[in-house]
Amino acid sequence: MSKNPYKTTAAIIYDIVEESPTIRTLRLRPEQPITFKTGQFMEVTVPGIGEGPFTPSSSHYVSEVMDMTIMKAGFVTEYIHKAKVGDRIGLRGPYGKGYPLDKFKGKDVLIMGGGVGMAPTRSLFLTLLHDINDYNSVTFLAGARTPADMIYKDQVAEWRKIPKVKFLRSVDKVPEGETWDEDVCLVTKLLTKISIEPRNNPVIVCGPPVMMKFGTFDLLKYGYAPADIYLSMEKKMYCGIGQCRHCVIGPYFACKDGPVFTYEQIKDEENIWE
Amino acid sequence: MIIEKTGLYDFFRRCQAESLGGFRQVIAPRLSPKNPNVLFWDKWQGDWEFVIDSYRTVDPLRILFYSARERILPAQTDNEKRLIVGAKACDLRALNVLDKALINTDFVDPLYESRRKNTTIVGVDCNEIAPTCHCNLVEGAPYAKQGFDLNLTNLDANYYFLEVGSAKGQELLDLMQKYVKINRSSEDDLNTRNENRQAIEKRLKLQNKQYERDPQYETLRTADLTKWVDEAYTCCGCGGCTNICPTCYCLILNDETAAEGFIKDRSADTCQIHGYARVAGGASPRPKMYERFRNRYLCKFRYMPSNFGLLGCTGCGRCSEVCAGKIEFREVVKRIMSAGKVKESANV
Repeated sequence: MSKNPYKTTAAIIYDIVEESPTIRTLRLRPEQPITFKTGQFMEVTVPGIGEGPFTPSSSHYVSEVMDMTIMKAGFVTEYIHKAKVGDRIGLRGPYGKGYPLDKFKGKDVLIMGGGVGMAPTRSLFLTLLHDINDYNSVTFLAGARTPADMIYKDQVAEWRKIPKVKFLRSVDKVPEGETWDEDVCLVTKLLTKISIEPRNNPVIVCGPPVMMKFGTFDLLKYGYAPADIYLSMEKKMYCGIGQCRHCVIGPYFACKDGPVFTYEQIKDEENIWE
Repeated sequence: MIIEKTGLYDFFRRCQAESLGGFRQVIAPRLSPKNPNVLFWDKWQGDWEFVIDSYRTVDPLRILFYSARERILPAQTDNEKRLIVGAKACDLRALNVLDKALINTDFVDPLYESRRKNTTIVGVDCNEIAPTCHCNLVEGAPYAKQGFDLNLTNLDANYYFLEVGSAKGQELLDLMQKYVKINRSSEDDLNTRNENRQAIEKRLKLQNKQYERDPQYETLRTADLTKWVDEAYTCCGCGGCTNICPTCYCLILNDETAAEGFIKDRSADTCQIHGYARVAGGASPRPKMYERFRNRYLCKFRYMPSNFGLLGCTGCGRCSEVCAGKIEFREVVKRIMSAGKVKESANV
């Protein structure tokens, strides 16, 4: 009999970074190193409770440890947010197809990440930084609801020092008592602040459904081709192995054929933004 | 080949009673004591008659291979050697879909695989048709062309025409020959078999004449959504249709703590309930009942063909039979497809 695909690898939480009131990054050390391609996802198990699909937020050049940035949004993540340093969780995967880095080589890469959608895109970003000379430029547009919701705050200053990298951030609003000296607008509006040639260059989008939808429309207006817009689709990837069918997008399985799709691939499918 | 019926039934009984061929279980359709129109799969215990000549059982063959809730971690296998007698063409075709879904390069369901391996299936042509039967509308027929190890066709009151479909079937035949007289078939026998098949097929076609359609299933997708709202009016979202469907295998994972440690079960899920595809953030691709209702039709006629190269509907008609809202699957397909066509030609 082949290896049971539901079997998990134990991982110890060796550090926790509280990124925002609802988002934390678990820093994990799996018992065996886990290699993955950036954009692929893992099933994270809270033993005896349940599991959910999460994309690592660390570079795929690191396999000894792995970061998972997770928002408290439901039953399983509730438990993940109660976890303490030293606790063990289970990992299985990686699943799905990663970002097609080969197609990004030599290009001006644009990344748009909103809220916890910055997690998979940080993995991509860090992976691109590792081989920065292979790319013409890397631009990251990051968005969050409020300054308090903005994640990876303490790393941005370092990233901005890197040549060929541009990192713009915006928040939707600044509540009283919070300060913010960068843009206040929807993340998609940051497109007006950059001057990337949209033709034949890739853009990668990950964020809440509403941002994915209107972000895509704005990118099309900006001049990006549907085949150059890469979307990380948030679907219910329950099993991760094309078995449970919960993540089906028309003829595709988000877990096997995605979770990254080009807009060209799925534009005619239904309710893709929901 | 032709085989005498009473001797054959006796052989099946001895397979159960004396474990002939190493079989630990013989499973066959059993007549419901409460309803003479209802047959259901049951392990033969010696106190009821086989009814293998009629139409399909109420419950799909799938449940004998992949049941409602089973442990997957730690992985289980089921190595009991079983003989299933009386499988119908619709259920055998459904196993093709399940084989592709549950035994593939990405994933093997160990329980399903072990049961497939350890089960010998004797198919029997349909001699009767249920009111909801419609395999002829979905590229099928009331007799199996593949998927069986052995297949039987009713010739007359005393004899079956017998056909071997696999090595496992040949093995069973070799065993059978020691206990039952099997004769070579004549050309007349073959003709009788074909005539009998044509006769039942003709009855089925007549039954489904009003539901005939041009199989351009893309129309289901392009049809006006308001049509689906109408069709789904009496759907209460109970999921009975998916639970009884021979090709539905969607699962949900249950993590639990047991005495022996952490365990994981898979249990049947249904795309007819709202929680099915809803993600933790709250987004849901099909929040409305008619959208989920429509999803089942698209899954059978579009998604499964695209995933597996096979139609997801084998025409057993169980979904219509079980429906609490009295929704007739064939009618829905027919109405939506004719509505869709009108729309298309209007566009031209």
